[in-house]
Amino acid sequence: MFQLSNEGLTKVKKELQRYESKDSAIIPALYVAQKENKGWISPDVIHHLSQVMDIAESKITEVFSFYTMFNKKPVGKYHVQVCCTLSCALNGARELADHLCHELKVRAEEMTEDGRFTISKVECLGSCGTAPMMQVNDRYYENLTPESAMNILRGLK
Amino acid sequence: MPKCTINGQEVVVKDGATIIEAIHHNNQKIAHYCWHPGLSVAGVCRLCMVEIEGNPRLQIACNTVVSEGMKINNTSEKVKDAAKWGLDFHLINHPLDCPICDQAGECGLQDQYMEFGKYDPEMAERKVKKKKVVDLGPTVVLDTERCILCSRCVRFTDEVSKTNELGIFNRGDRSEIGTFDGKELDNKYSLNTVDICPVGALTSKDFRFRQRVWYLKDAQSICTGCSTGCNVKVYFNKEGLFRVKPVFNEKVNGYWMCDEGRDIYKFVNKNARLLKGKKKKPTGFEEFFPGALAKDISSLVTADPGKVAFVVTGQFTNEEYDQVFSLWTKKWGSKNIFHWLNSPEKQNEFDGLLLRGDRNPNTQGLLKRLKDFGISTQWKDLITKINTHEIDTVVVAGPENPIWFPDFKEKLASLAKAKSLIWMQSSNHPEFENVPAGTYLIPLKSFVEKEGTFTNYSGLDQKFSKVTTIVSEALTLTEACTLLAGENLMIRPDPNVLIAAHPTADRVTLEHRKKNEFVFRRGAL
Repeated sequence: MFQLSNEGLTKVKKELQRYESKDSAIIPALYVAQKENKGWISPDVIHHLSQVMDIAESKITEVFSFYTMFNKKPVGKYHVQVCCTLSCALNGARELADHLCHELKVRAEEMTEDGRFTISKVECLGSCGTAPMMQVNDRYYENLTPESAMNILRGLK
Repeated sequence: MPKCTINGQEVVVKDGATIIEAIHHNNQKIAHYCWHPGLSVAGVCRLCMVEIEGNPRLQIACNTVVSEGMKINNTSEKVKDAAKWGLDFHLINHPLDCPICDQAGECGLQDQYMEFGKYDPEMAERKVKKKKVVDLGPTVVLDTERCILCSRCVRFTDEVSKTNELGIFNRGDRSEIGTFDGKELDNKYSLNTVDICPVGALTSKDFRFRQRVWYLKDAQSICTGCSTGCNVKVYFNKEGLFRVKPVFNEKVNGYWMCDEGRDIYKFVNKNARLLKGKKKKPTGFEEFFPGALAKDISSLVTADPGKVAFVVTGQFTNEEYDQVFSLWTKKWGSKNIFHWLNSPEKQNEFDGLLLRGDRNPNTQGLLKRLKDFGISTQWKDLITKINTHEIDTVVVAGPENPIWFPDFKEKLASLAKAKSLIWMQSSNHPEFENVPAGTYLIPLKSFVEKEGTFTNYSGLDQKFSKVTTIVSEALTLTEACTLLAGENLMIRPDPNVLIAAHPTADRVTLEHRKKNEFVFRRGAL
């Protein structure tokens, strides 16, 4: 069973105070929980959040399933999100993502066998001036080439 | 109290009323899906567009509050055009499986499309496929493809049943109704979601595929499931009743009814009923015509009325109580009338919405009449009197639905100790097999086969009329007691047989015929 850490619990409680409607705190709470649950939201997490926040599970699921930024299945230790919107796409982001998948012998949105990487193609990450780019967990890597991107991934522990 | 004009007609509405409420109370038609008078406003279907004078764009009627002097039009070409296109968008991903859909015939999409539809859709893209036949729980089946995401059911579980099982998950054209992690939609009011679903997305497991709705007639009645007395519509054909749905009554049930109340049709149908008058012999039952049997055994009652006890349940109409009690008390001067109250400890239970612990439709009516006739008897006296042979014969007016009488077996056994037992009841019961020889069973009419008045928990008298006949030989309680008293039944000429002055549902009148034209032209299945 998933349990929020004390720190996470304080954060969620704080978010609950912050908005006029409790429902508004669902997104920040899901973010906190996703971070603590190795990058994805399981039904367990939603069940726990519903108890902590006193909001129905179905309501949390409505929000959770609407946004693509919440992961519906387990992701690798490093979640590599390659931006594939306009300027990145024009600068070869889709090829970059395919290259990464090929090198890591994995399909997009799936986890590598060793559980280290998940490659996803995502919409605009707001770094259009430095295309193509990718986000690994919380960090941006910009002005990539297929080789430099692979080197970055290899350099990760 | 603002005054507004709807399609040229002046209407005064309540403060804060929305346009759609004004139109609804003025009995005018307006296309809508997501709005339901018993739920909050969602404004998602965009079908109830109206033209407001001085406003360049159309507005949705469900979320626009009427202001003083507003001039509203919902019959103009512009409005019809909006509804037409709105419908076309609703139909983008809606599968056209009407021939196999249970909602066909009472479907909001069908109805509106006949009125406003484009009849020539321009969508060339493929429809999005979603899950069909999703088992949502013990009562409801979901077809996600057919759902038009009006969110009525979601709001129902949120606002009325407050169980929050349903939600709209995912987004865009992948949006669908569902429950969290496959949890069941299992609450006491779950079938209301089926009623309010404007399309065939939510269907009732009980009614699914049992009957095409256009082969059914409907009539208003009162639910006998508990002392709330919800106003209901029963749907029936020659074979019997098929389902029960709630009818709006602000004073009693609002728009809803409970799932248990929807089962009341089951004990009215022939397979659950006592069909013949029966006499238990050591070798088994001998069957009789009920009326003849009642007349035959009248000597048991009339020989010494002082030694006869009458046991009555809260399941009969006020009129029946009045007539039978006056027969008992005035003609025979007997006050041996005993009230069989099932589960007295649950009498005052209430689930907060509709369902009450008193599972009799007319306990209040019975109590009032017992008081009026000056009858104050105790159940334990009856048992002692039977044991001391102060009472020889017991006449019982038993429950229509024995399921809600957990003490049925025990009561039957204790009453069977009397010298002779005359048990009158509409439904059959397996325990009848074990009654001692010399017991008589007389079939009574159920609530759909007679007319009368029930008094609900709050003392409100509710009249209901006859719906149909299922067991034609069965007697009403009055008829049975008249025959038991050795008298003949008076057959009064009914002045309304040929005149459509007071049309009842099973009488062929012009209005009824118009309404059920298809049934009469095509006959039953």
